Amino acid sequence: MENKEKIKQLAAVLTPALILVALTLFCWFKPHTDISVSERRELASFPQASYAAVADGTFMEQFELYAEDQFPLRETFRTGKALSGRYLFARPDINGIYSVNGYSAAILAPLDEKSLEHAAGLFENLYEEYLSGTDVHVYLSVIPDKGYFLAQENGYPSLDYGELVRILRDGTPHMSYIDLFGELSVSDYYRTDTHWRQEKILDAVGKLAQGMGVSVDGADAYREVIADRDFYGVYAGQSALPTKPDRLVYLVSSVTEQALVYNYETEQTGSVYDLKKANDPDMYDLFLSGPVRLLRIENPLAETDRELVIFRDSFSSSAAPLLISGYKTVTLVDLRYIRSYEIGDWIDFDRQDVLFLFNTALLNGSWSLK
Amino acid sequence: MVFSSITFLFYFLPVTLFLYFVVPKRFKNPVLLAASLVFYAWGEKWLVLLLLLSVAIGYAAGMLMDRWRGKAAARAVFVISTVLLLGFLVYYKYTDFFIANFNAVTGLDVRLLGIALPIGISFYTFQILSYTIDVYRGNVPVQRNPFRLATYVTLFPQLIAGPIVRYSTVAEQLAERTHTLEKAAYGVSRFIAGLGKKILLANQLGEICSRFKETADGSVLYCWIYAIVFTLQIYFDFSAYSDMAIGLGKLFGFDFPENFNYPLTAASVSDFWRRWHMTLSSWFRDYVYIPMGGNRVPAARLVLNIMVVWLLTGFWHGASWNFIIWGVLYGLLLLAERFLFKGRIEKLHVVNHIYVILTVVLGFVLFDAASLPEAGRVIGGMFGFCDLPAVSQEGLYVLRSGAVLICLSILGATPLPKRLYEKLSMTKAGGAILAVAKPVALGALLLLCTAYLVDGSYNPFLYFRF
Repeated sequence: MENKEKIKQLAAVLTPALILVALTLFCWFKPHTDISVSERRELASFPQASYAAVADGTFMEQFELYAEDQFPLRETFRTGKALSGRYLFARPDINGIYSVNGYSAAILAPLDEKSLEHAAGLFENLYEEYLSGTDVHVYLSVIPDKGYFLAQENGYPSLDYGELVRILRDGTPHMSYIDLFGELSVSDYYRTDTHWRQEKILDAVGKLAQGMGVSVDGADAYREVIADRDFYGVYAGQSALPTKPDRLVYLVSSVTEQALVYNYETEQTGSVYDLKKANDPDMYDLFLSGPVRLLRIENPLAETDRELVIFRDSFSSSAAPLLISGYKTVTLVDLRYIRSYEIGDWIDFDRQDVLFLFNTALLNGSWSLK
Repeated sequence: MVFSSITFLFYFLPVTLFLYFVVPKRFKNPVLLAASLVFYAWGEKWLVLLLLLSVAIGYAAGMLMDRWRGKAAARAVFVISTVLLLGFLVYYKYTDFFIANFNAVTGLDVRLLGIALPIGISFYTFQILSYTIDVYRGNVPVQRNPFRLATYVTLFPQLIAGPIVRYSTVAEQLAERTHTLEKAAYGVSRFIAGLGKKILLANQLGEICSRFKETADGSVLYCWIYAIVFTLQIYFDFSAYSDMAIGLGKLFGFDFPENFNYPLTAASVSDFWRRWHMTLSSWFRDYVYIPMGGNRVPAARLVLNIMVVWLLTGFWHGASWNFIIWGVLYGLLLLAERFLFKGRIEKLHVVNHIYVILTVVLGFVLFDAASLPEAGRVIGGMFGFCDLPAVSQEGLYVLRSGAVLICLSILGATPLPKRLYEKLSMTKAGGAILAVAKPVALGALLLLCTAYLVDGSYNPFLYFRF
């Protein structure tokens, strides 16, 4: 009896102890990992030890980050946590990401009216600063996030999209609003990512073009090219649940092939589709090389002098190539990376079409717009 | 450093355990002392010197009181050391509170000092006081070895959030303690159980509370969810810390006192305080209430004694009127139970539990609020006085999202799981199943907790701020 009790006690000590020792040794001797592909970020490195860093506590703070980031089997543990959230605690969302019929979406509610007012105010200031008194035509359009199609009817907190659009429109009285909500459905988006699928948005782009009074190429002009790798979007990494990947497709035409993209940051000219980026953690960066503050696309095949300036977020990276056929140049300004007062140094506003095109997720958290 | 961190579990703890069990017996206390100082300095940096200064004052006071035992000088040393130790506590914890209230009363604008609160100062000050008071009273022999006293005060398992271990409890174990397989098995189980309570329950409950505080979509339902969830969070957070402390103590050969006994199942408010933060209640009982005369005084004096103790209990928890009012309200409830209801409450079977839970839940809303008006808004919201809708989209979703967590937490706050475990272990088949299931469950729980830590979840300990 006593022996049996001892064996039980030994098992209760040894099982966790072996796990602790194994993970500790693994922790200490595991090779350094540079990036987390699923989270699209660099992982912390071992902090530099110095008297100053120890004295002010930064060494300890950075060590804690390093210990979490460099933990062995990190992705497996993250998935373990996500699975326990889903099946042990029956949580309908994991890290704010929920899934309906294989489509992952982020919970964005509630509506942040201050953020929307901030965005509208910024757009209106840009209008007053650069566009007022010129011959430009100014348009505003909003791209709904997947929650518009999924949240309310599946019992998830939903933004009040009507109110969102109302606040924006009321705050931008000089802009003509182009409504895209009716042109899209959830299948027009990647299942694992926040973005829309380029091959599915020709109708929405057509609506934008129509709203701005230009004619752009239709589906017949394009052929689909499928990227070699599986595409795991940002929500796959955030939720950490096992997910089926998407396929990333891009549309190629003679216009997109001939178009030249000038990057004001690197002062280099490239292509609409940056195929080197197809190997990056975020494959969506293939479209116009991902986040870039200022780009100009020139269309050598243009039969018009019309120019377009898009104030945009990442959704425009895949939409802009489909608008090129209607313009001689398309300039893209990402207000997350360029301050509005700097724009006059780069663009002379005269007779262009100017489109403010943003997605609802960014507008509801617009504080990154400068 | 917190127990529920990768740094503690996979760097600090393995090294400390290895060194502790590898060195000869005479070096075990020095290893513990060194580890404890690293543990404290990791987060508090130079404030470790304040901790050591407090230990030095306690040590010197003990030595001098022992030398001058029975003389007036001993009393003087006792008074001076108590004033110094409490002075540190008051300076670091209450100075800005006093200045703010002075400004409010006089209309002056004395600048707040913005003094950082050293983590655990309330706990270690009370532990040192337990030593100096007991030495002064002659209840324990003086500790002549300064490193041994320092080991007691700084002992990392209980340094920053209790239980408040009195010197008398561990005095003998500081000199001579045993390390057995039975203690180790209990220690490991208790530590991992505490870790699970903290990471899987308290932290996730805390996320609901944080979300409530940021919401723009409040409702009556959401206020109730928050109030109940915060009560569960603080229970699991604090009792988990005590579990981990007691478990680690066992691993190092110490027997720390229990700090919780299913307080949310208490039959009255008096009973609640016999089950919640038991080491603090007994500290105030033995070092404040009884020296003031305890129960054996006229009724008017008894009322005064109880109210003083509960005023101090509230104030101990934080430098804010919320805490003072929280303590005073409990004092009034205890007086009501003693003088008006005269023990009849505990004989009621359902109503008394509703009364206790309601009292405790409302009390913790006051406790958690950043200010009195905020507490008023939440409590008003709970009873429909703040122009809030009955339900809101976010409140409903939080309820749906957290339903299993909340149910598990409510179940875990009762003795039912423990009773079930004990019943099962008494049967032959159950015993055989548990013999395999328990180590597996402990291993799985450790892995699951690691998974939550790796993902960088919400992880503060609530009682650190005290």
